[in-house]
Amino acid sequence: MSAEPTTEPRGDSAEEPLMVSECTACGYLAYPPRLLCPGCGGSSWRPRPAGAGVATEVTVRRPVFERRQLPSGEWVEEEPTRLGAVSTEGGVRIIARLEAGIEAGGRVALVRRDGVAVAVEGS
Amino acid sequence: MSAGSEARIVGAAEATYERHPAPERETETFIAEAVVAALADAGIEHGEVDGYGVASFSLAPDHAIDLTWKLGLTVNWLMEDTNGGASGVNMLQHAVRAIEAGDAETIVLSSGDRLDKRDFHLMTDSYNKAVRDYLARLPLSGPNALFAFITERYGAAHGLEREDFACVPIAQRAWATMNPGAAYREPLTLEEYLDSVPVAPPLGRYDCVPIVSGGDAIVVTSAERAARLGRPSVGVRAIRALYNPDHQDGNGIETGFSTIRDDLWAAAGVRPEDVGAAFVYDDYPVMVLVQLADLGLIPDGDVKRYLHRTLLEGRWPVNTSGGQLSAGQAGAAGGMHGLVEAIRQLLGRAGERQVEGLELALATGYGMVLYSHGACHNAAVLERHS
Repeated sequence: MSAEPTTEPRGDSAEEPLMVSECTACGYLAYPPRLLCPGCGGSSWRPRPAGAGVATEVTVRRPVFERRQLPSGEWVEEEPTRLGAVSTEGGVRIIARLEAGIEAGGRVALVRRDGVAVAVEGS
Repeated sequence: MSAGSEARIVGAAEATYERHPAPERETETFIAEAVVAALADAGIEHGEVDGYGVASFSLAPDHAIDLTWKLGLTVNWLMEDTNGGASGVNMLQHAVRAIEAGDAETIVLSSGDRLDKRDFHLMTDSYNKAVRDYLARLPLSGPNALFAFITERYGAAHGLEREDFACVPIAQRAWATMNPGAAYREPLTLEEYLDSVPVAPPLGRYDCVPIVSGGDAIVVTSAERAARLGRPSVGVRAIRALYNPDHQDGNGIETGFSTIRDDLWAAAGVRPEDVGAAFVYDDYPVMVLVQLADLGLIPDGDVKRYLHRTLLEGRWPVNTSGGQLSAGQAGAAGGMHGLVEAIRQLLGRAGERQVEGLELALATGYGMVLYSHGACHNAAVLERHS
C-alpha cells in the first residue's frame, strides 16, 4: 500500500472498528497517520485495528458556548462531553469520546462513529 | 553591518493586553504598539533596525514581509515564526545567531494576536489538520481536555491533588497584584481556586489562561551597540531547543526539556541553582511544574514540597508578571510574554515586582499541541550585563 493515509475520515454514516496505520517495514503504529515512519523512515503503511485499550484518564469537557446552531437553523444546548485518553494494547494513545459508564482505568474497545474515535465498553 | 558580534537584548515591551478590544484594534495594531514601545525602551531609533521577526496566529493573509512594509522597515534578516508558545525563544535563537554571524545588527522580534473568544475557538478548531480531522468533532475546542489528562497523569505520578496544583496560580497571582497590565490582578485564594467553574476536571477556570488581545516585542543588537547605549543589557548564555522528540507517543509529563537540560546548562556554564528567577511557559499549572522539574530546578524531585515551600511560601520568583495564567495569553504573544518579563527583571525595570540583584534567569517556550501534548520545547539562560 502507498503512503496514502488509511485512517482518513470517511463520512458520518457507518460505525466501524477504529483503524490505525502500521508501517509495513518496521511495524510502528501511527494515529493520526504520518507520511514517513519515525522508526525507519519508510513510506508504506497498512491499516490495522486499534485493538483493545484502557481509558487511562477521563474528563467531562464543559461546552465553550452554551448554545450552537445546527445546519437546520435550530439552536441547541451544548452538552458536556465525556472524553478520555485511551492507551491501546499496541501502545498507541488515542483521544476519544467516551460512552457513558466508562471511568478511568476501564477497559474499552475503540470504534469510529460520527467521524471520530469513540471508546465503548470493552471486555 | 558588523562582521559578527555577541548579541545583547536591550529592550522589551508589551502592548497592554485587552480582554475586549475595540473593533479597530487589529492584530497588527498591537504588534506595532509593542514594537514602538520596545524601541523606546531600548533607546534605539526606528531607522537603525535591520532585522525583523514576527510570530502571530492571525496575520493572514499578511506575512512578515507585509509587516516589514507596514512598519516602515528595511531589513537584511527576516523571519516569521509559527510556533506559538515556543516562538519567542525560537526567534531569539535565530536573531542571536544572525547577530553573531554579522547578518544583521539590530533586530526587532515581535508577537501578537487580536483574539476574542469566538476568534480563539475558530482558530483552535482548525489549529492543524490533526485537530481539524481527528479532534474537533469529538468535540474538542482548544487543548483544555488534553491538559486535564496531563494534569491527572502528573498528579498520579507525583502524588499531587488540586490543592497542590493550586500553588501555581495562587503564587503567580500574588506577583500579578503588582502588574497593572495583568487581566487578573486580585489575589487568588485556595477556596476560589477549588470552587471555580469546572472547565474539564480536574481543571477549573483558574487553571486556564484568560484569552486576551495584545502584543510583545524585544530588541536584540550587537554588544558594541549595546555598550554605546550606556545602559544595562541582557546576554544570552545559551539556548537549546527540541522539536517533536516523541512523535506524540510520549506521556506529555516527561518532556523534551529533560533531553536538552544537561546540554543547556553545560553550554550556559552555570547550574540550575545559580538562576535567581524562572519564566516558564504557563499555559497550565502542570506545565509550569513539568518544565521546572525537567530543567533541573527541583533537584530532589519532591514536587509537592517545592510547590508549597519554595513557590508558595518562599515566593521563589517564577513568572513574576503573574504569568499568562494571570496576565492573559494574547495568542502567539504568549510565547514572548515570559521573555519580556525576564528581560525587564534583568534590566532592573520591573518596578514594584523587581527581584533585587537578579543576574541570571531562565526563560522557556513550549507549545504546539499536535495531537495530545506540546511538540516544541526551548529554553534560554539569560544574564544581566551592567
